[in-house]
Amino acid sequence: MSGQAAETQAQRESAGTQGLERTLAYARAAVRIVSVPVTVFLIATFATYALGALGGANPAAEVLGQDATPAAIARLDHQFGLDRPFLVQYFTWLGHALTGNLGKSYFTSIPVSTSVGQALPVDASIAVLALCFAVLIGGGAGIAAALRQGSRLDRAVTLICSGVATVPPFIVGIALIVVFAVFLKVLPSGGYVGLTADPGQWLRFALLPGLALSAEGAAAIARQLRTSLVGALRENYVLGAAARGLPARRVLFRHVLRNAAGPALTVLGLEIPNLIGGAVVAEKIFALPGVAQLALQAGTEHDIPVIQGTLLVTIGVVLISNIAVNLALVAVNPQGRRGTRTVRPQAAARGAAAQPTAGAVA
Amino acid sequence: MSTLTSTPETRSPGSPGSGPGRSGRATPARRAGILRRALRLRSTQIALGILGVIAILALFGGALAPDNPLAQNTGAVLQGPGGAHWLGTDYLGRDVLSRLMAGTGRSVVGALEAVAVGLVAGVAPGLASLWLGRTFEWIALRIVDAFMTLPYVVFAVAVTGIFGNSLNTAMLAVGALIAPRYFRIARAAALGLTRAQYVEAAELFGASRRRILRTHVWGKILPTIAVTTAQALATALLIVSSLAFLGLGVEPPLPTWGELLSSDLDYLAQQPWAPLVPGLLIMITAGALNALADAIRDSGAVLQFDDTALDTAPDAAPDDPEPLAADRSAYGVL
Amino acid sequence: MPISPIAENRSRDTAGRPALRVDDLRVTVDAGRTEAVHGVSFTVGRGEIVGLVGESGSGKTLTCRAIAGLLAPGCARSAGEVELAGADGTRVDLTALDRRGWDSVRGTRIGVVFQDPASYLNPSITVGKQLAETLRVHLKLGRAEARRRAVELFASVGLRDPGTVYRQYPHELSGGMAQRVLIAVAISGDPDLLVADEATSSLDVLVQAEVLDLLRGLVRERGLALLLVTHDLAVVAELCDRVLVCRRGELVEQGPAAQVIADPQHPHTRELLDAALVWRPDTDAALAQGLSDLEFAEAS
Repeated sequence: MSGQAAETQAQRESAGTQGLERTLAYARAAVRIVSVPVTVFLIATFATYALGALGGANPAAEVLGQDATPAAIARLDHQFGLDRPFLVQYFTWLGHALTGNLGKSYFTSIPVSTSVGQALPVDASIAVLALCFAVLIGGGAGIAAALRQGSRLDRAVTLICSGVATVPPFIVGIALIVVFAVFLKVLPSGGYVGLTADPGQWLRFALLPGLALSAEGAAAIARQLRTSLVGALRENYVLGAAARGLPARRVLFRHVLRNAAGPALTVLGLEIPNLIGGAVVAEKIFALPGVAQLALQAGTEHDIPVIQGTLLVTIGVVLISNIAVNLALVAVNPQGRRGTRTVRPQAAARGAAAQPTAGAVA
Repeated sequence: MSTLTSTPETRSPGSPGSGPGRSGRATPARRAGILRRALRLRSTQIALGILGVIAILALFGGALAPDNPLAQNTGAVLQGPGGAHWLGTDYLGRDVLSRLMAGTGRSVVGALEAVAVGLVAGVAPGLASLWLGRTFEWIALRIVDAFMTLPYVVFAVAVTGIFGNSLNTAMLAVGALIAPRYFRIARAAALGLTRAQYVEAAELFGASRRRILRTHVWGKILPTIAVTTAQALATALLIVSSLAFLGLGVEPPLPTWGELLSSDLDYLAQQPWAPLVPGLLIMITAGALNALADAIRDSGAVLQFDDTALDTAPDAAPDDPEPLAADRSAYGVL
Repeated sequence: MPISPIAENRSRDTAGRPALRVDDLRVTVDAGRTEAVHGVSFTVGRGEIVGLVGESGSGKTLTCRAIAGLLAPGCARSAGEVELAGADGTRVDLTALDRRGWDSVRGTRIGVVFQDPASYLNPSITVGKQLAETLRVHLKLGRAEARRRAVELFASVGLRDPGTVYRQYPHELSGGMAQRVLIAVAISGDPDLLVADEATSSLDVLVQAEVLDLLRGLVRERGLALLLVTHDLAVVAELCDRVLVCRRGELVEQGPAAQVIADPQHPHTRELLDAALVWRPDTDAALAQGLSDLEFAEAS
């Protein structure tokens, strides 16, 4: 058999199996991407519910006050469903939660989902803004630095990134307030207007917190993207693309970035839990009526359903973002379908919340 | 099944801390070797210096402070830095410098407490997971995964909200979330070392179990634990400060760094530079701890563990190995 | 007379003009500190296959990269003229092109083929899409049209199952098929010059022979000029019309392939030939000599 005929034969056979392999790989990836977070979700929510139950100063007693009779307490217990076996309680609670019913506040009787529903968009809108900033600023800086590797711009970017990485977001936030609200007086130092209510005003209030939250992420993305790009730009396929006469911009965006974006995307995914944690502190600094404020308030009153609700929502957000990032990773790089690089939810939330990466020296 | 790569260490007679023919009894000498190498770096020296100052302040801050941190003086409110008060006064006329110094202890103790909880709660289960059977192992791993998903601050808020607002409660919560790190290294270390070839080789050569443990196991694990602890301390410090900032775990009027930041915020218009002070202090301390961790790690003897073998979940695909320092850097999975 | 970058020159008869003319080309490396190619001059005619041979470090790769404008950072053409003449009479001064100019020349007038072909394609896009992309960029074809043309091109380079190949990723192709794909990409713009840098060095012998056949066929059909850089004299003997021998940045010998191989003038050429064990008319004699040397050695 001639060389190419033999090749074609083998090729056809392997192409057939390749197609099957690829489908299997997709399926495996999908299963993996979803199943790990689901397991984690179940355990974390169980812990949440257990915490509530453990801490449970008897809510009936709290609600009814000091001189509640045992009978009245028992009645209220039954009403709250607290006299059923624990696991049953958990699953009932979880079931309700997944359909949007998070119970009612012990004190105000406002449904928790309503309160959370009002508070969450605040955090969400600002977090999305922060993400956009992080991607645009960080991405732009990373690309510029990689293209002009070794130049002053490159070194400046690297330096700034290491510097920013050591600064906790609350400091950045405060610094921004000082500069823009106190000295320049162009932006408000606190408060919030809903996005749907008035986009212009929303932006005024959301700009500073968004920037403050994005700083860490932008630095991390810039650093990672620069490193990945510098490596990727040396690859043969870049030369190949140039040899085909493809314009530089096209090569950069459609070819190089597509391949080099993986690690940067991972970084982005890891930043999302940091955003959540940073948001908690940012709410206080910028006087935003967000989920964390809700939780803090509920904490002072031992309002357990609200606390549980906020914890649940947080867990949900972290896990959903984890799934989203993993899906994006798979979409960007087909080799990722072979299961080489996905972010585990615990890695995603690792060191999350506050200022875990502050102090990371370059 | 786990792979263990240990960066090679020079064990030639000329290596620091060991003289000729010492390689057999190398434990104290080797540990000294690692530390000595780390100590030679300028960054380590600076970091240790800073931490030394912090430690002294933590222990004796109250006594060393120029003024009584609790003494209010409504006549001299919100003053800038000056002769009498080097860092000015706060909204109640209290000397900022004194408050800062006195608050060191509380902040540091909080962080130490959290890390201690994490260590205790993490190492034992980590080691146990290897010997108590598959079920325990699987459950423990899943729990660890779940705990690592929870963001520190939110969890602490929830826990203190449910169980009461005290420093200890908050630190317990944070400690619980730090425990997974120790769980993983303890487990990985034990797993890797019992199967590491040089342990087998040493056994073949007739070294006693105890000596193996001493020279190989401790000598290798200790730096690793040191690195993790330093990083955990930095993280814990930041979280304690954030929590104090939010009002959790504080007992006014006793000062802590985070709480100072919070009160500064209310008077930002009058004293815009005020938050910078505690903020810088927090940053510098955390930075020093991280620099220390980096130095120890870079000095060469810290093991990188391939964590992938630890996943016993059926769908555990070959994920990225997560080097120990991953917790700190955002892109640690790489 | 200075040649403008793209000069319409229909009044001149370009039938006799070589497709590629290189005149005293000098290339410096290491940011201009060292000269690695010392004044190389040659031509490649249309429909002609010219082999550029030499050991590693002889400057052959630098030369062909300089011609295609693909020098690595730190390397630069320091002197010399390189001119490309098209079948339609246009002439291009390859030394005067900026990046935009090169983008329009490469892929349309010059095609480049490399060693280890799969690595020169984007690993995360199917090869068909990459060829289609080139077609859309250079020939301004629509999506469906580009796709169709890509499959045609794959067929024309001898790929037996072009539709399937279209959907494969570079790493899924065998060496020979990847090289055919790369050749398809290189000729997709109907270039005047094809530069092949060690195009067959990493292929199996059988596959190499087929790829060489393909190249020869393409050259004859399309009137391409092919500059083939190789260290393998067997390939030269098989395929090339003329051969240029490189040594330390200089051309030490050039001439018709058969003649140079049969009767090498320069000692370095002889060394290369000896090392390659290429069949030469006097090989029998050499063999006889060798055998008798061996007997002599054994006897003593």
